[in-house]
Amino acid sequence: MSYFLAGILLFFASGMITIFLRKDEWKSIIFLIGAIASQFLILPTLFSSLVFGNSFSTIIFFSEPIGASALRLDPLASVFALIITIGSLLASIYSFGYMKQYYRGKYSLSTFYFFFGLLISSMLLVVIAQNSFLFLIVWELMSLSSFFLVVFENDKEDVRKAGIYYLIAMQIGASFLIAAFAWLSNLSGSYDFASFKIILNTQNYIAVVLFSLFFIGFGTKAGFVPFHTWLPRAHPAAPTGVSSIMSGVMIKTGIYGILRIILLSGVPEIHLAYAVFLISFATGVAGILNAISQKDIKKFLAYSSIENIGIIGMGIGLGMLGAVYNIPLIEALGFLGAILHTINHFIFKSILFYGAGIVYQNTHTRNIEKLGGLIKFMPVTSMLFLIGSLAICGLPLFNGFVSEFAIYLGLAKGFSYTSVSLNIVMLIGFSGLALIGIMAMVGFTKLFGIAFLGTARESLHKKPEEGSSPLLLPMIVLAVFIFVIGISPLLIIQILYPVLKQFMNVDIESTLGSVLSLYSSLSGAFILFTGITLIIFLVRKYFLKNKKVKQFKTWDCGYQVESSRLQYTGSSYSLPFLELVAELVPQKTIVESQHDIFPNEAHLKTSQHDFAERFFVQPILKFVRKFLTMFAWIQSGKMQQYILYGLIFLLIILIWIFGAL
Amino acid sequence: MMMTVQILFIIFAPFLFLGIINRIKAMWAGRKGSPLIQPLYDFLRLLRKGEVISKTTSIIFKIAPAVNLSSVIFAFLILPLPAIGAVISFDGDFILFAYALGLAKFLAIVASLDTGSSFEGMGASREVTFSTIVEPAFFILLGTLALLTGQTSFDAIFNLLNSSAGYTVLIKILFAVSLIIMILTEGSRVPVDDPNTHLELTMIHEVMILDYSGPDLAFIFYSSGLKLVLLSSLLAEFFIPSNSVFSLIIFIGIIFLTAALIGIIESLIARARMSHVPQFIFLMTALSLIAFAVVISFLRGGL
Repeated sequence: MSYFLAGILLFFASGMITIFLRKDEWKSIIFLIGAIASQFLILPTLFSSLVFGNSFSTIIFFSEPIGASALRLDPLASVFALIITIGSLLASIYSFGYMKQYYRGKYSLSTFYFFFGLLISSMLLVVIAQNSFLFLIVWELMSLSSFFLVVFENDKEDVRKAGIYYLIAMQIGASFLIAAFAWLSNLSGSYDFASFKIILNTQNYIAVVLFSLFFIGFGTKAGFVPFHTWLPRAHPAAPTGVSSIMSGVMIKTGIYGILRIILLSGVPEIHLAYAVFLISFATGVAGILNAISQKDIKKFLAYSSIENIGIIGMGIGLGMLGAVYNIPLIEALGFLGAILHTINHFIFKSILFYGAGIVYQNTHTRNIEKLGGLIKFMPVTSMLFLIGSLAICGLPLFNGFVSEFAIYLGLAKGFSYTSVSLNIVMLIGFSGLALIGIMAMVGFTKLFGIAFLGTARESLHKKPEEGSSPLLLPMIVLAVFIFVIGISPLLIIQILYPVLKQFMNVDIESTLGSVLSLYSSLSGAFILFTGITLIIFLVRKYFLKNKKVKQFKTWDCGYQVESSRLQYTGSSYSLPFLELVAELVPQKTIVESQHDIFPNEAHLKTSQHDFAERFFVQPILKFVRKFLTMFAWIQSGKMQQYILYGLIFLLIILIWIFGAL
Repeated sequence: MMMTVQILFIIFAPFLFLGIINRIKAMWAGRKGSPLIQPLYDFLRLLRKGEVISKTTSIIFKIAPAVNLSSVIFAFLILPLPAIGAVISFDGDFILFAYALGLAKFLAIVASLDTGSSFEGMGASREVTFSTIVEPAFFILLGTLALLTGQTSFDAIFNLLNSSAGYTVLIKILFAVSLIIMILTEGSRVPVDDPNTHLELTMIHEVMILDYSGPDLAFIFYSSGLKLVLLSSLLAEFFIPSNSVFSLIIFIGIIFLTAALIGIIESLIARARMSHVPQFIFLMTALSLIAFAVVISFLRGGL
C-alpha cells in the first residue's frame, strides 16, 4: 500500500517539477519518466489485489475536521485504479508527442503538466479514499484540475465557455454528493464508508433518497442523461491527451462511485434497480442518437461516451435486478458486463480519441464534412481507428462484444424468470441494446467512412501525414488489448473474479464457473471464425493468382465529371436515419438568401438539438435563472450599498454577542 | 451420408435458391426463363475473370467480401441443422449469430464508402438505415423465443419448441411472417429493394457493390445467396419436427418453398417507394411484439 501511495505522489511530483523547468522539451520528458516510474510502484500492488484478491488498507491521520481517514484498496478499487494508471501512462506517452505543437507557444506547458499530474493522482485517491470528507476533497480536486486542463487554450472564447459550463456542472453534481455524504455521516455518526453499511442496508425511504442523491451526483460525472450536457462541451475543448483521459478514465470514477454505493447498500430496493436500468437505457439511446447527428469528431466521440455509459449502466441495473430477484447468474453477468465494459470502453474510446487527435493535428479541423481520404495519407492511424470503431460497435473478435455479450446473456436469462414486469424490462433491454448497437454502427460507419475513406472533400493547406511514433505507440498498445480481450476474454475475466466476489454473496463458485466455461466456448468460436476467415482469404488469393487486376477510377455510371464534391457527405449519409427519428433529434435549419430575379449567394445552416438538453435541462436552467435574478439587486455595483451590508453584518454580530451575554 | 447430403445441399443451395426465384418470376411473366442453375454459371464465370479496382479504394475494399462470406458461413455453424446439428452451441449463441452478420454489414458499408462514389454512399446510407429497424425487431423475436422456451441457445430453443404443441403454432406463424420480412430486407428483395435494377436511384444493395468485379463480386454474390439460405434455414427450424427421419427433406422443402414464395412476392408486388420501406419493415417489429405479448399472456396468465 505504501508503494501505491508513493506512486500517486510520484505522479503529482512529476507534474510539480515541470513548474521549475525552463525548457518545454524537458517538461515533457520529466513527466513521461515520472509516469513510467510510477507504474512500477503502482502495478505490483494492483496485481496482488486482483490476482490474489488481497485488500490493502491504511489509516492516515489528518487534523480535524477530517480526522483519521481510511484508505482501502479492495478489488473494485483496484480495477478502476488499473484503468487510471494504464490510461495515464498511455496519455502521457501520447501527450509527449502531441504537446510538441505547443512548445514555446503562448500556452504554458507547466500548467498543463502540473494539473495533469494532479488530475491523475486525485483520480487514484478517489478510488481508495474511504472517508467521506477526504473523498469529497479529492473528488473536488479531480474536478478542478480537469477544469484547468479543459481551459488549456484559455484565449479562445468557446474553450473558456466550455470550461465554465463544465465547472458548474461538476459543482452541481458535487453538491448532491455533499448533501448525501453529510446526511449519511450524520445518521451513522462517522465519516468512514464502512459505517454507512447499516444505514444503506435498511430498506426504507432514507436509503432510497440517499441512493438517488448519490446516483445524481455520481451520474453527473459519469454522464447519465439528463446530466450529460457538459460532456459534448468539455471533451472537444481539451487537448486530446486530456480528452482521452476524461472520456476514457475520469467519467468512470462516476461509475466507480455508483458501484461503491451499491456495494455498501447490499440488496437494492426494487424500484431503484428498475430506475437505474431504464435511465441507463435512455442514456444509451440518447447518447448515440445525438452522436449520429454530429459533424465534429470529438463531439461525436463525447456523445458516444454517453452511449457507452448507458450500456455500462444497463449492466449495473441488470446486476441490481439480479440481486433483487435473487438470481445469481443474472447478477454476476450484469456486474461482469458493467465492469468489463468500463475497461473496454476505456480501451476503444482512448484509441478513437488518439486517432481524432492525430487527424486534428494534421488537418486543423474536427469537422468530418471537410475531410475524406485520410487513409491514403495516414494508413496506420486509419486502420487503428477502424479497429477502435469495430470494437465500439460491439462486433465479434473485438473487445466490445465480450462485455455486451455478458449483458445480453444476462437479459436473455431474465426471460426464464416468472415476473411479467421483469420479462418486459428484459425485452426492452434486449432489443434496446440491439438498437443501441446498430445505431452505433450508423454513427461509426459515418465517422470512419466519411473522414478516412473516399477522397478529400476540401483541399487542405498542408498534406496530412502519418502520426509520429509517440502518438501511434499508445494506439498500437490499445489495439493489442482490443484483440487480446476480444479473442480470449478469459484472461481479463479471471482478473475480475475477485471483484465479482465482492458483489455476490450467495452461490459464487458454481455461478462464476458457468460464466467462465461460457467464455471459453465463446473464445473457441472466435478462433473458428478467424480460421474460416483466413481460409477464405487464401481462397480469394488463389482465384486472383495470375489474374489481371487493373486500377481504374471509381465507376461513375457514365458521368464524365469527376469531383470529390459529388461524394456523399456525413450529413447526407445520416439523413435517412435521422428523418426516422426526427422527433428525438430536432433539427433547426436557417436559410439565408435574398430573393431576386437572378439567384444570389445563399447560406444554409443546420444544427441538431439535444432532446434532453432542450426539453429538460434548459427549462430548469431558465427557471433557476429567473429565480436567481430576483436577488440580483443584492449585487448592485454601488459601493455605498456594499458598505451598508458590512454595517448590517456588524450590527447583527453585536446584537448576537450582547444577546448571548 | 445424411451429413454429406446436408453439407452439399447448403453449398449449392444459394444457386438453386436464386434460380428458383428467377424461374418463378419468369413463369409468372409467361417467359421460359433461364436454367435453374444459371446463378452457378454466373458465379463460375466471375471466378475466372480478373478484376478492376478503383484507385480511390484502400485495403478495406479488398477484405470486405471475404469477411462477408466467412461471417455468413460462421453463422451457419451456429444453426442446429438437421443431420448435422449445431457445430457451435453455447448459452447465448444467437447473439453471436446476429453480431457475426453485423460485422459483415459494417465492413460492407465501409467498403462501399471506400470508393467515394455518391451512388454507393447512397446505398450504404439506406442499408444502414433499414438495418436499424430490422435488428431490434430480430432481437425482440429472439427474446420471445427465449421467453417461450426458457432457453438461451438455438439448439435448446428449437429442441423444445418443436417438441411442444398447442398455441405455439400461432407464435410460429407470427415468427415465420416476421422472418420473411427480414429475409426480404436483408436479402434485398422486392418490396424493399430490387436486385434486378441497375443504376436506379432507388436501389440499395446492388448499388453498394457497383465497383466490385471478378472473384470479389463472385464472393459477394455467393454470400448474399448464402445469407438468403441462412435466414430461410432459420425459418425452416421452426417447422422441423425433432428426431424425424424426414427432417432433412422437410428442411430442404421449406427452403425451396421460401424461394418460391419470394418469387411469387416479387411477381405480385412492385418495389415500395423509398419512404414507405420503413413502414413495411416496422411490420416485423409489430409482429414480433405481438408474438411477445401472446407468449407472455399465455405463460404468465395475462399481463
